[in-house]
Amino acid sequence: MTISRYIAIIALCLYLAIPALGAPMEVEDNLGRTVTIDQPCQKIVFLVENALNTYYSIGDPETVLAIGDNIWKRELKEDFFKAVDPKFDDKVRIGFDAGLVSLETLAAEDPDLVVLWATSPEDENLNAITETLRIPVYAVFITSSGDMYKQVRDMGTISGKTDRASEVEAIMMSYVEEVTSATEGIPDEDRPKVYWMWSDVLGTAGRESGFDDLIYQAGGINVMNYWDNDASYVEHPTVPLETLINLNPDVIYMWYNEKLDPEDVIRGTEFAGWRDINAVKTGRVYEIENPFLFDAFSPRMPMALMHLAKNIQPELFADMSIDERMDGFFGEMYSVHYPGYAAM
Amino acid sequence: MKIDYGRRELDAVHNSSFIRKRVLIVLFLLMPIPAFLISMTVGTFPITTGEIVGVISTRLGLEMGHPSVYETVIFQVRLPRVLLAMTVGSALSASGAAFQGIFRNPLVDPYILGLSSGAAFGAALSLGVVPWIPVQVSAFVFSLLAVAVAYTMARTQGRTPVVSLVLSGVIVSAVFSSLLAIVQIAVDERALQSIVYWMMGSMNTASWSKLESSLPLAFLGCLGILTLRWRLNVLALGDEEARSVGMNPERYKGIFVISAALASSSAVAVAGIIGLLGLIVPHMLRMIFGPDHRTLIPLTITFGATFMVLVDDLARAALGFEVPVGIITTLIGAPFFAYLLRRTRAGGWE
Repeated sequence: MTISRYIAIIALCLYLAIPALGAPMEVEDNLGRTVTIDQPCQKIVFLVENALNTYYSIGDPETVLAIGDNIWKRELKEDFFKAVDPKFDDKVRIGFDAGLVSLETLAAEDPDLVVLWATSPEDENLNAITETLRIPVYAVFITSSGDMYKQVRDMGTISGKTDRASEVEAIMMSYVEEVTSATEGIPDEDRPKVYWMWSDVLGTAGRESGFDDLIYQAGGINVMNYWDNDASYVEHPTVPLETLINLNPDVIYMWYNEKLDPEDVIRGTEFAGWRDINAVKTGRVYEIENPFLFDAFSPRMPMALMHLAKNIQPELFADMSIDERMDGFFGEMYSVHYPGYAAM
Repeated sequence: MKIDYGRRELDAVHNSSFIRKRVLIVLFLLMPIPAFLISMTVGTFPITTGEIVGVISTRLGLEMGHPSVYETVIFQVRLPRVLLAMTVGSALSASGAAFQGIFRNPLVDPYILGLSSGAAFGAALSLGVVPWIPVQVSAFVFSLLAVAVAYTMARTQGRTPVVSLVLSGVIVSAVFSSLLAIVQIAVDERALQSIVYWMMGSMNTASWSKLESSLPLAFLGCLGILTLRWRLNVLALGDEEARSVGMNPERYKGIFVISAALASSSAVAVAGIIGLLGLIVPHMLRMIFGPDHRTLIPLTITFGATFMVLVDDLARAALGFEVPVGIITTLIGAPFFAYLLRRTRAGGWE
């Protein structure tokens, strides 16, 4: 090959590569909106915490410009955030006024991208930011584990670290498979019927909810699958107590509840009507005790799955230590130990 | 001779109308009994009337074999719920009738003095901010606090003019609504959902302990209104007229406000905000029986219980899933109320 040919090939490669460098690119958010961003984003504002958790496992913490001041149960999470982002305390906090984001604070930061929670394209904050400030917005709306994996890939695109995103996705999948490889062969009739109890007690996870999937993966079956009523399909149906008694779940799983403990359900006078339910009779009432560690709508979804599996199928997962698996997971995802979040 | 015959005919017509009204009153007073029996057979758990009789017979000492779950459903789920619905219905209806009498205004309901806004704020505070305070306690305390503030604000120089009471009620409602809005903004999505659901009114978590906490106060409030009911007739004429017959209107206004607030606060604390009930039940009865509170108050207590328990039957069993009872109360009550309104002049106030 002559030198001139060699130079020509290099020139052609450079020519083809130029559009990819710094060129705008598109990512589809959870609402199906196409968001055009500059890759990689250097100044991102996170107004939703679960995406921030995902981003910290993939992207550079320095590119997190500001965060919303609406973090739920901050006391459970602050040590972790400080461990994965040493400048966490210095980040600008974006406030909300009557549910609406402070546009002036946001405008002053001049971000490349805002990530927020929105259940519809008509969301007021979403429209206010895109129309008033002309800042691209990525809307998060997680309803299934598939959405969580998509979020990982999208955060990879946004941060420009798609390889790390693939790694993170693989880590999550490997922990999920650790459970599902043991539970997938269980026939439906052998799975314990599980009632998911949201904090409104008779409000539960419907057949088409994320927790329905998670319960099945954990080796149980959502008791709503045995309720012959269209309401069983909605995401958060309210079940009459008499129906629940008739459905007779084998396990009751409570979401983190500050007003109730499993013991209240088993022995409390307020729950005298529940005493003939199998789960109560056998004492199989469990609670998600830490809504941060076992948040199913965050990248820690595999940990939530393990928590469920350990209680729903205790014999199958007798040897599994949640603390050990948690340490391994935090190490692979965030390079910190659990508990304590010391750097590895 | 012709004239005498006419008088006899008129007397006969009058007597038959009087008897008809008496029979109707007795029917309305006894209505809670069939409503209770019907409600005990309604539910989503498959259990027949015969099996219910069997379970009750066992309780009475007769040995009738049946699964223990039947007993739980009858005595721990249905019975407390039916009794709670009846208690709430009586309390809200009697309070509504008392407030309408005091305010001399047919548009008044038990929530006129900011009781519902106070209760909603109290419940929201417990559900979203200070979870260690029970919802029921917080709702009860703040509902009474709202009424106390409104009443104190309206009282000047030893008098409590009706207009001042209405205005102070509006102000207190607005203040508690704003405080509620602040809580709603500050809490997370799930707590917000719980607050909204609580505000719709529901009895799906009825239990004996809720009934035990609500029933004595509701009973006390209703008893106060029932005992002094004839004085509402005098208060309904106006303060000056009341004074002219030797009655101290301020004292009785205070007693009625305290009794009605006690009854409705105890109901709202356990069932959430059930709209329209305290407005339409007294109205319906006034349209049928007239404005005399001596008849009206006992009837609001019994018919309020009947109406509420039947509406709650629909809320818990009609669709197979729970519908907040406040929604059904409005959907059923409003058309029936409109029908009666068209059939009577001025809603029975004339």
